[in-house]
Amino acid sequence: MPAARIMNSETARYLASRLVTTVLIVFGAMLLLFTLTTLVPGDPAATLLGPQATPELARRFVHDMGLDQPLHVRLWRFFAAVLAGNLGVDIISGRSVVSIIAAVMPYTLILTFSAIGLAVATGLPLGIYAATHRGSVMDNVLAFVSVAFIAVPSFVIAIFLLLIFAIWLGWLPVLGTSRSGAFLDEFKRMILPTVALAAGWIGFIARLVRASMLEVMGEPYIRTARAYGLSERIVTYKYALKNACIPTLAILGLGIGRLLGGAVLVEIVFARPGIGRLLYDAIAERNYPVVQGTVLVTVILFVLVNLLVDLSYSAIDPRIRREAISSAKAA
Amino acid sequence: MPIDLNRRQVLAGTAATGLVGTVAPGRGAQAQTSGPRTSITVRVDRDLTNLDPAERIGPGDGNVIRTVHQRLMKQKANSAELELDAAAEVTQTSPTTVDFRLKPGQMFTDGFGEMTAEDVKFSFERIGLAPAGSKEATYKGDWVNLERVEVTGPYAGRIILSKPRANLFDIAIGDVSGCIMSKKAVEQRGAEIATKPVGSGPYQVVSFERQSSVVLKRNANLAGPKPAFEEIAIRFISDPRTTDLALRSGEIDLAVLSPSGAEPLRSVAGLTVTPEPSIAYVWLGMNLEKGPLQDLRVRQAIRLALDTDQMLAAGYNGKAPRLNTLLPPQILGHWKDAPVYKRNVADAKKLLADAGASNLKLKLLILNQPAYQNMALVARALLAEIGITVDVDSQEGGTFWSSGKGDTGKNLDLFLLRFSGKHDPNFIMQWFVSDQVGNWNWQRWKSPEYDALFLQAASELDKEKRAQLVVEAQKLMDKSSAFVWLTNEVNVLVHRAWIRPAAVPGWIDWQYDSFAASA
Repeated sequence: MPAARIMNSETARYLASRLVTTVLIVFGAMLLLFTLTTLVPGDPAATLLGPQATPELARRFVHDMGLDQPLHVRLWRFFAAVLAGNLGVDIISGRSVVSIIAAVMPYTLILTFSAIGLAVATGLPLGIYAATHRGSVMDNVLAFVSVAFIAVPSFVIAIFLLLIFAIWLGWLPVLGTSRSGAFLDEFKRMILPTVALAAGWIGFIARLVRASMLEVMGEPYIRTARAYGLSERIVTYKYALKNACIPTLAILGLGIGRLLGGAVLVEIVFARPGIGRLLYDAIAERNYPVVQGTVLVTVILFVLVNLLVDLSYSAIDPRIRREAISSAKAA
Repeated sequence: MPIDLNRRQVLAGTAATGLVGTVAPGRGAQAQTSGPRTSITVRVDRDLTNLDPAERIGPGDGNVIRTVHQRLMKQKANSAELELDAAAEVTQTSPTTVDFRLKPGQMFTDGFGEMTAEDVKFSFERIGLAPAGSKEATYKGDWVNLERVEVTGPYAGRIILSKPRANLFDIAIGDVSGCIMSKKAVEQRGAEIATKPVGSGPYQVVSFERQSSVVLKRNANLAGPKPAFEEIAIRFISDPRTTDLALRSGEIDLAVLSPSGAEPLRSVAGLTVTPEPSIAYVWLGMNLEKGPLQDLRVRQAIRLALDTDQMLAAGYNGKAPRLNTLLPPQILGHWKDAPVYKRNVADAKKLLADAGASNLKLKLLILNQPAYQNMALVARALLAEIGITVDVDSQEGGTFWSSGKGDTGKNLDLFLLRFSGKHDPNFIMQWFVSDQVGNWNWQRWKSPEYDALFLQAASELDKEKRAQLVVEAQKLMDKSSAFVWLTNEVNVLVHRAWIRPAAVPGWIDWQYDSFAASA
């Protein structure tokens, strides 16, 4: 069988198994979530309806939300509705949960990918520099700065950035969104939240790339490449960096997943809408349809991003491709 | 001199120039702080979620709803006193009937036509009288005693009650539940009316973005006087620190902050900081059904051991006025001679000894906010001096607000509570009647005398007699020793000096349409 066809069938099998895993993960996450909603203290009717609610209204509210049903019935109804493309209705505004998530999702995606993009664009060269100048003053300075960035929470960085760039220098705005819709204005408002979120990841990626690079630079094939007389630039960037990037890619997958729902503090500091903040508010309000919908979307995105990362390994590393083909042949 | 640039240098240079160009125009990034302007941005600390008068969530929603819709009567600027709004005439023809006549030519926005008495009937009855099989309005209680609304002409009608009601005008006709909606628009837009309201008021909603902002634009077809600002953007900013910075940078023009949050802004040029007494009320409550707290002497001992002024100093930097009874001074029926309890450790210890209570361990439930946390720590220290060990239980909103519900409420010991008020004594008193035990009466205090006084006051149309009934009710609360009144809080208003904001006293009900700019 030609290698390409073996590869394709193996990829298809791999994708299928990952798809099954994805479904299981989503199901497990939702099962956990539904179980938690029955355990967590706090009456959604009291929280949302407030003092004006009559007991009859509170009972109807609980019934409308399906909270008077057993766990398995609620779970079954939820997945049946999801398969029909329906995530339910926000019990506060009466709007569909899909439309609410769709409204905030672009803010989250833009912030997540710009932060990760900035982290890679900055952390990668810093990590390479530190690895190629091991033990130098700059390497030590970068180590110190990287650890500091990792250790300081993003919302603390956010507040300092605001004080420096929005208040003292007056270069950038405080609020993370505007109602003008103008590209330049929105771009300016993106800078500080992006930097605040990216800072920790810059340090993390720089350290990781440095460690991976140092490990890879000691590999026999790098020595062989040098022995062939290849320039240090080609050895570093063409042969060492590619393999050193694999652990970084794995971390990036997790990072994107974390930022999708975990940028809540930065979103609060910059008064910026986002999926993390939506989830946070919905939990505080016991607005279960929004909680369920948001968690479902976040879990799916998380799993998909990590699936893409896994697939990208084989594109980068031919050994992984070959392993896939050998295992397919053996099967 | 020849310039030798390679491709990388050109790209790097272009990127750097672009970045500098983006951020370096200096203060161009900031909004204009000088004024007056035709548009302003105000901050709210809770997201606006539902602009349907029947289903609104908080005062922030209500403030927008009142400016988008007209009512038969509305509050005068910076006052709780009512004046005619959509109505040319409103007359109480008997204790249970109110006749009204609308001004002709009041047009709903978005082409939904002229306001008629049918719209008034629809708007009031959809809240007060849920049609069979349809969902009961959250704010049904605002229209309690409503029997029906009769339409007697295109612009005329009659509100008919099942029994007299003293606060009909303050709570229903003149407030959010009295907003007149377009029947046609509600039927056509369905659930969308919650975010795309149709009214005939001074402003209309032109943008509603969850977690971000609501933008109001002056209603060009408004029949009456036009509001001062062409546009008001209402920004949701939950974090007080971000609010502080946005006020400094000029991105927002007005916000209400806590005393400690507003203090640093006093020195900022161009900002005015004004404390406004609130009509919210905060107290430390005791569960009368729980163990040793069933004994009146234990409750009296706790009241004597606490020092309200010390607690307020910790919670509000000493900037919030002390409250000695349920109703603050702005409300009809305020008990001005209410006792002002002073801390007396010796008497408190004696009361505990008489009650045979020793080594008491109590839990103090609070909402996880700094003001309550600080007050709770002071209370713990003060009560420790009379031998009561207090465990402070700080909970987030969802858990906290459910703690007094049903049988769960039986487990409470002590708690710090804050309720929002309205300019009506019965509205404020309602949470302490016996029927509210297991709901909002967390003290589980049952007093048939209080319940009777509450009902009498609710239907007493004579103001003086009503005020006396309300004072008597507060005396009963004092006698129970289940309440240690703390403060009716203070709202500190921070705004550009050229803005003249407006609100019903207490600064819970903002009047966007009466905001003005100084010349």
